[in-house]
Amino acid sequence: MPKTDRLNRRQATALLGGAVAGLPLGAARAQAKDIVVGGLYPLSGANAQIGVDAKYAYETALDIINNKHEIDLPLARTEGLPNLGGAKLQMVFADHQSDPQKGRAEAERLITQDKVVALIGTYQSAVAVTASVAAERYGIPFLGADTSSPSLHRRGLKYFFRAAPHDEFFTQAMFDFFDGLEKRGVKIESVALFYEDTIFGTDSANVQKKLAGAKGIKILADIKYRSNSPSLTSEVQQLKSANAQVLMPSSYTTDAILLMKTMAELGYKPPAIVAQDAGFSEQALFNAIGEQGEGVITRSTFSLDLAAKKPSVGQVNELFKARSGKDLNDLTARQLTALLIMGDAINRSKTAEPAAIRDALAATDMPGAQTIMPWRRVKFDETGQNNDCTPVLLQRKGPKYVTVFPAEYAVAQVSWPGLK
Amino acid sequence: MMSAETIVQILVSGLLMGLLYALIAAGLSLIFGLMDIVNFAHGEFMMMAMYATFGLVVLFSLDPLLVSPLVVALMFGVGAFCYRFIISHAMRAKTNAGMVQVFATFGLAIVIRGLAQFIFTPDYRSIPKSWLAGKTFDIGGIFMPAPQLAGALVSILAFVGLWLLMKKTDFGKALEATREDAGAVGLVGIDRNRIFALGWGLGAALVGLAGSVLAIFYYIHPDVGGTFALIAYVTVALGGFGSVFGALAAGVLVGLVEAVSATALPPSMKAVGIYAVYLLVVFLRPRGLFGHLS
Repeated sequence: MPKTDRLNRRQATALLGGAVAGLPLGAARAQAKDIVVGGLYPLSGANAQIGVDAKYAYETALDIINNKHEIDLPLARTEGLPNLGGAKLQMVFADHQSDPQKGRAEAERLITQDKVVALIGTYQSAVAVTASVAAERYGIPFLGADTSSPSLHRRGLKYFFRAAPHDEFFTQAMFDFFDGLEKRGVKIESVALFYEDTIFGTDSANVQKKLAGAKGIKILADIKYRSNSPSLTSEVQQLKSANAQVLMPSSYTTDAILLMKTMAELGYKPPAIVAQDAGFSEQALFNAIGEQGEGVITRSTFSLDLAAKKPSVGQVNELFKARSGKDLNDLTARQLTALLIMGDAINRSKTAEPAAIRDALAATDMPGAQTIMPWRRVKFDETGQNNDCTPVLLQRKGPKYVTVFPAEYAVAQVSWPGLK
Repeated sequence: MMSAETIVQILVSGLLMGLLYALIAAGLSLIFGLMDIVNFAHGEFMMMAMYATFGLVVLFSLDPLLVSPLVVALMFGVGAFCYRFIISHAMRAKTNAGMVQVFATFGLAIVIRGLAQFIFTPDYRSIPKSWLAGKTFDIGGIFMPAPQLAGALVSILAFVGLWLLMKKTDFGKALEATREDAGAVGLVGIDRNRIFALGWGLGAALVGLAGSVLAIFYYIHPDVGGTFALIAYVTVALGGFGSVFGALAAGVLVGLVEAVSATALPPSMKAVGIYAVYLLVVFLRPRGLFGHLS
């Protein structure tokens, strides 16, 4: 054999080894007696940070479930799952790379090889679509922790659950908020929609169009853009020409940063921004845009200032911050809550068999006080959706978000052009 | 209805972005022209330059414009290093040499990206403050952001410098000769390996320059290279493989077509505009706008 061939093979192996080592897949196998739940997240690619933060949130929830804590949350005061002889809950994570096809394949791998009893995920709704269908086929419960497309629970799946609000709740809250402004003398007459071209953006915009139409609010710009574009100049130029009263973006972090920076560069400052969460809940955006972020409003399922009313919020935030160095945000709070709900269902299932967990999830009736969320309770309807979860609107004031809507959770008055 | 102002703004924005696309593509085209290798790690080189800029800015509290020459020098070293330790070995393959080279640069891209995610974490970084950031020239209602304007000027200067280097220096002549016939140059005393290494260094330095300017106004992330690399490949193909100045024309064309198609079509379809133009060029002139006949 010629020498060069051997060298090439060795180099190829080194390259492949390096490539594999470079991707933190985190698929450490749990011990046999542990009960394993699969987590599907983007751990590489443009949204990798979301997956990294999600892992911290789930580790915090596992800590609460598996160890003793004086916190008013399900399974916090016990060690492990009492109904299963104190068995510990574990998670294995798979990287779906924000790709629906990889999401489906990874869901199948977690189910067939890692023998997970349930799946949680996936950040992007587009990935939840395929991964939840795989779970359904294998009879494995799927809890959408942080996916918000309304169409997800309307597909007749028996194993799909979602405790958090979907975009119809969120968007309804935005338009209820507009109603509130009108009562105080500021009428919203026009909006501009700016949304990315996957199921998250398009579903969000569809609801916004429907609700705006019902209230007679004019849509001056309807811009569906290509996510992760190198440039958004033409898109922002169109928003600027439309000059609507409220800009309503539905964007993940990369696009949210580029949108805001391009707006500043083109001298466009809309009177108000009301965002559909996602990128707008991320600190990275506000680090990038600085003062330009002042006054931005986003919908959320969570707000740190709830700690004043619920001690558990502050306690859990400390546990999370010790791991991640960050405060809980809308996404990480939903992820953490999802695993507590899943742990509670697994505990009540008594057997940890997927079908029994599914039935236990369906029978969930958790009072809102036992969550860190501003929700009334967690109870799934026949489609697997929880309808007792109240969204909140947060406004950027100084270096943080504060709750400004609805009144029962608001800690500050909303700042809005023309509002006294 | 669209005003004349809007149309001019879109064309100006497209032109500024296009010049930056051209600078990103120049190094890719140079390396291809020199040795028929498509560097699939080109976007990752740019990403490295962005992190290097970010790191130096944070470390020394200097403006990105000041650290830019250092980043360019650093990337020159990275390019030459990659040639010496990866590409030159890949080129020794006796069979399927083309595929070996493709996988070598592709593997390099994945390794660099993985390492970046491991070392820098996948968090999104931005350079918080710089001389140019946030400044915009408003000329009769047409906005020209200072960072993009600087990027466009740097790009034009880089192409002028590249032209002088290619036409007026011995190195340029050696580069041209190696590109014409890599086998024969050895007979006249030119070290082919040295020229290739310098070519890779120069290619990486050019994209490094683009990355250091881009870092002023764009987010920095391990995957950011991919966003621009695809545009760079179509720019090189459109301009004619190996034609550095074809890349300049094609970059500007891509920037303009992108800006116009994002306005005329639904914005989610803007990539369609770019590739439709490319397919049209393939149909009329398969070697690209300025491609050589070989």
